[in-house]
Amino acid sequence: MAEDGRKHRILVVEDEDNIAIALDFLMTREGYAHDRVASGAEAMPRIRETHPDLVLLDVMLPEVSGYEICQSVRLDPALADVKILMMTARGSAIERQKGIALGADGFISKPFELKELRQEVRRLLQGEG
Amino acid sequence: MLHRLSLRLRIFLIFAALAFGALVALAAGLVFGFQRLGSPETLSAFVQVGVIAGLVILGLVTWVWYLFDVNVAKPIDILAGALRARAHSDVSGEMDTAIARYLGDLAPAATAAAASLAETRNALAEAVARETTRLADEKSRLEALLSDVPVGVLLCSGEHQIAFYNTPAAGLLGGDTAPGLDRYLFDYLREGPVRHAHRRLIEAGDADAASDILCSTRSGGQVLAARMRLIEGAGGPPGYVLTLRDVTADLTTRARRDAALSVALDRIRRPTANLMTLFGVLPEGEPVPARMETAMRQEVTGLSAAVNDLSRHHDEDRAEGLPLAPARALDLLDGMRARLEGLGLTVETAEAAPLLMRCNGFELIALIGHLGQRLAASGHPAPFHLRLDEAGADARVVLGWQGAALSLATLDGWLAEPLGEDLPDITGRSVLAAHATDLWPEGTNGRQSLVLPLRAARRAGPRPTPVPRAVVYDFDLMSKARNAPVADTRLEGLTFVVFDTETTGLLPAQGDQIVQIAAVRIVNGKRVAGEVFDTLVNPGRPIPPGSTTVHGITDAMVAEAPGIAEVGRAFHKFAEGAVLIAHNAPFDMEFLRRQEAVIGARFDHPVLDTVLLSAVIYGQHEVHSLDALTHRLGITIPEEARHTALGDTVATADAFLKLLPMLKGRGLDTFGAVVAEVRRHGRLLKDLN
Repeated sequence: MAEDGRKHRILVVEDEDNIAIALDFLMTREGYAHDRVASGAEAMPRIRETHPDLVLLDVMLPEVSGYEICQSVRLDPALADVKILMMTARGSAIERQKGIALGADGFISKPFELKELRQEVRRLLQGEG
Repeated sequence: MLHRLSLRLRIFLIFAALAFGALVALAAGLVFGFQRLGSPETLSAFVQVGVIAGLVILGLVTWVWYLFDVNVAKPIDILAGALRARAHSDVSGEMDTAIARYLGDLAPAATAAAASLAETRNALAEAVARETTRLADEKSRLEALLSDVPVGVLLCSGEHQIAFYNTPAAGLLGGDTAPGLDRYLFDYLREGPVRHAHRRLIEAGDADAASDILCSTRSGGQVLAARMRLIEGAGGPPGYVLTLRDVTADLTTRARRDAALSVALDRIRRPTANLMTLFGVLPEGEPVPARMETAMRQEVTGLSAAVNDLSRHHDEDRAEGLPLAPARALDLLDGMRARLEGLGLTVETAEAAPLLMRCNGFELIALIGHLGQRLAASGHPAPFHLRLDEAGADARVVLGWQGAALSLATLDGWLAEPLGEDLPDITGRSVLAAHATDLWPEGTNGRQSLVLPLRAARRAGPRPTPVPRAVVYDFDLMSKARNAPVADTRLEGLTFVVFDTETTGLLPAQGDQIVQIAAVRIVNGKRVAGEVFDTLVNPGRPIPPGSTTVHGITDAMVAEAPGIAEVGRAFHKFAEGAVLIAHNAPFDMEFLRRQEAVIGARFDHPVLDTVLLSAVIYGQHEVHSLDALTHRLGITIPEEARHTALGDTVATADAFLKLLPMLKGRGLDTFGAVVAEVRRHGRLLKDLN
């Protein structure tokens, strides 16, 4: 729960449906309010509109890459409190550096253990206050 | 008969004959006149006339002869001598023409001929000197080039004897002992592939054909890729050039990758197959039995771990295996700055960290130049800041500017463009991919930058001690005739190993041991400067202080040195096929032969002793110490080298090379002849053959 008693809101930006199904399942079980977009182009308008607490952001997206979305969020002062957790299927050290440099709060490589993802999400949301 | 006499004598004889003839004619005339007159009282008058006329004739002839001798015969002789001197030796300088002033144009003509001869000779000498210098220059340039070629280059005769090698080849063939001139190639390489390729090329008969082979070293199972090309030569099987490259590392890397890939595939295939089976038997739409669910979870965990492992290894391997040359950070930064300034942009650079990076400097400089140009053109104004920082095990190139942030979308657009008109196939993306890296913008409060991490950077340490690069060769070896028994071989055709030992004392029978062995090789009558054996030996016992004063070798110096077994083997290998030479050889040979059992090799080489050779040349009553001998031969041993094994060895070798022509002068030009002569001096010292 967030400080004001409402549920934490999480936006999942992920083009692969199967992962999205699993994440949807996980978020519901963890008690988060969540939403999903399947393409990079939809992501920014949705983030501006809903102002989620955390964005679970895939790097490889159609149209606009996860890095670009991350940069756009960080360049918008109104979105300063939005946390970003990036996910990638490659996950080399250079990608991690790039993600962090562009303002991501966390970086996680696929395939990941759901436990790991759960802990990372909790860490970011608790660190908020 | 007459023409053998000297010119002056012949002229004298001519004049003498003239005088004699005139006197005879005078006497005959007078006798004839006296008889016609028929009055005996006139006899005394006739005799008087005869004597006076005879004296006058004699005087005149003598006077003319004298003038002729002084002014014609003698000057001709002198001129001839002067011309001959100029013809047969290097006499130069003006000829004295005054003495030949009555000879008309002869003296000036001779002078002109001599001058022209001298001129031609000088011009020829100059031309030869010029050509010699040019050849020497070319030779040293070629030597430098060949020694710098990163592949090993060998030149062998048709009988597989080494006539040329460079430092990389020595390194590749290395093993226990470095290769040497006139050594048998198959002492270092396994012979099968080389022989086969040699035969194949000879049969093909195509001068331009080359054969690629894979061969292994004898010593350490190194695998070498070699290319053989024949060299035309006179007579016998043709020699060849062999270029060598070590592919052991390549093969190992490949084998390791293949093995890793097989392991990875296996780790993925098994859980995938298991999952397929599990899901296959799962009744659709029914709850999953607990045991099956556990099994599935296990398999998925295993699969996921395998994939993560694999991608981590792949990441490391990519950085390791970048086929790029190391570049200095300083050079890279300077190149980038120059490129940006060349585009009319202002750049400030900070001091670069002392790093070495594996990268393609040309591409990176082009990339930074391209980005700088695009930045400036899109309202991100110069001055730029350019840095190259150390970041953990990596380095980062940082290109900074003051102003607005750069959007990733724009940057990605720039990276998709070719880096220049002359580089249509190279885009920023391809450069980044080749370096297994990425590029991104960073920035806060108007200070913006582009960050480019570069992997596999390492600190540039102090330069490693440079490997002495050299080429060693003697092309005469390509046509050297072989296979005569040692005794019948001409001395200059033999290979000699001159050596010297330092010991703990003078009495091998009472346990004294070798502490140092030095040796040099003499091949084809020349000392090979690049082939030296010089090793300390651990004697396995203390070195008496008295001996240390002589040779300066202390217990501490030999503490880490190998023992006689190892050094003896290496020395035996170094001296293989050679005649051993030492000054007072029985002493050194005694020490070696006592250790034959430990070394596991017999020192049954033919032996020459410079003491005995000196006795042959200078007689037994001279002093034959090394100092005395080298002094007589005009060889100086530098004071610091005296009584070091190597210094004495080099002096002995040089003395031997000076004794060689003297032995030949005595008609001793085969090894057998020298040994027979030496045996006659056997009273002085024991001959070891």
